[in-house]
Amino acid sequence: MDSLSHLSPDVLKAYLLTTEMPARVNEHGSKKAAEISRFGGFVGSEIRVYPSLERTMDQARSLIGQSENEGKSVRNGSVILASTLSRGKGRFQRHWHAPKGGLWGCFIIADTFLSTFRNILPFIPGIACCEALRQEGVEQSVVRWVNDVLVDGKKQAGFLLEGYVSPVHYEQYHLLGFGLNVNNALFPQELEDTATSLTLQLGEPVDLGFFALSFLAKMSWYIGLLFHEEKEWLERGGTGEYIDEHPIITRWLELTDTIGKRVRFGYDVIENPQYDAVVEGVKSDGGLILRHDDGGVTVEYSGEVRY
Amino acid sequence: MSEEIDFDEILGKYHSDPYEYVDVCADHTGTIKFLVEEGTEVEAVSGEWKHIPGTPLYEITRERNPKKITATTNGVISEVHSGLEGQFVEAGEKLLTIRHPLKKKEIIERILQEVLTVFPAPERAKYFFSLDIQSRIDKKGAREVSVKEGDEIIIMSLMKRDTPVYYSGEPGVIHSIYFQPGISVEQGAPLIGVCPVDKLPLIQKIITRVKADWDQQNG
Repeated sequence: MDSLSHLSPDVLKAYLLTTEMPARVNEHGSKKAAEISRFGGFVGSEIRVYPSLERTMDQARSLIGQSENEGKSVRNGSVILASTLSRGKGRFQRHWHAPKGGLWGCFIIADTFLSTFRNILPFIPGIACCEALRQEGVEQSVVRWVNDVLVDGKKQAGFLLEGYVSPVHYEQYHLLGFGLNVNNALFPQELEDTATSLTLQLGEPVDLGFFALSFLAKMSWYIGLLFHEEKEWLERGGTGEYIDEHPIITRWLELTDTIGKRVRFGYDVIENPQYDAVVEGVKSDGGLILRHDDGGVTVEYSGEVRY
Repeated sequence: MSEEIDFDEILGKYHSDPYEYVDVCADHTGTIKFLVEEGTEVEAVSGEWKHIPGTPLYEITRERNPKKITATTNGVISEVHSGLEGQFVEAGEKLLTIRHPLKKKEIIERILQEVLTVFPAPERAKYFFSLDIQSRIDKKGAREVSVKEGDEIIIMSLMKRDTPVYYSGEPGVIHSIYFQPGISVEQGAPLIGVCPVDKLPLIQKIITRVKADWDQQNG
């Protein structure tokens, strides 16, 4: 097994304190950064590393069920990692090529978000991945709405977010699957023109364990920020609306190249493209604002774009 | 659902007042400026992708951010709460009412929705049937597919977040499907209408009767 086997909650905690936090403190001040960090501290509370799995999402479901059958509850924020996946998949049953060298895994996150903020969660993995790549020197990495990560137009990472209701206690979970091409450099022929990896960008391999820590730490930060913003909003009165630009959307806007692009939109854009339009922006709740050729506008809350 | 349906009463209601009265409420808190008055004819949002906005109804301003809210249904403005002009209102406050003329198909749907178990959309999102339900629909047709409380019937897709939706309500077969894959559904709008198997003939009777009666009355 590779350097992933050294990962543990303590190692992640140490990384957060020594490597992630100093920059966050510079940006937000020590009090706010500590508060956000505390909110996100549950992420990585357990890290399980497997040499190989069929799918990490299935493993997560099985782990949740197994824990409940034993009269326990799975640790919120648990992370499942596997060195390879034999049945990795993206949305709509699309195959996900997951050989050794990539970062393949799944977060188990109990659904304790207020409904107003739940839609922001899918933006987080794209931001965290993009920041981790830029930290490695891949400055041209960008996010495509909602959370695909591209480098020079090729896909470096994809994420899958599925709801799951536990079998015994009916607790709601978010299973956030991730697939990051890191040290894997070979792709099947059909993906050669559309996929890339960190090692292909840098021309050399990176320490997969260290890169994983960087990604997990950023996930922890932004999930903490999501809860922190909930708290701030509730302290401001917490009515049924949220008209501000969420700080996570603000950060996403800094990292995306989707705005202003002419895109093809579809719920399943590969199998069933619906229309072409120009992206005017995103709404405060993350909806994609699309201007049609005849001047009409739609706001899309689900689906995908290609450009 | 009762076996006894007073068709004359139901149809009489729609004949005497073949309209739906759609209340338009404030989307969020803010100061209101009306853009229509009583009697104004309004157009609904249109276009293949629902991308051509309807008639502007009111402007709501919050934090110096004015938004024009447009009609999502066509009809005539039957009531405007004009006392709210220039006032700061709470989210959900009723502002005006649109009198929407009902078509035959809409009347049938409304009557059916009164007698079917209607399962509503939990959030504004896109919906599609779960793999198992979809394959059963593909094989046998929706009206051969039975559902019961707790069945995973639909997947809700919102911001690339797919969440299973479990059926709650009376067991039965899927009689009506109100959503299309890939098209957004508003929160609370019906997704499916479920009918106990033994009531299917009654439902068919309603449809036949309404169609015949409406065609006769309206030439």
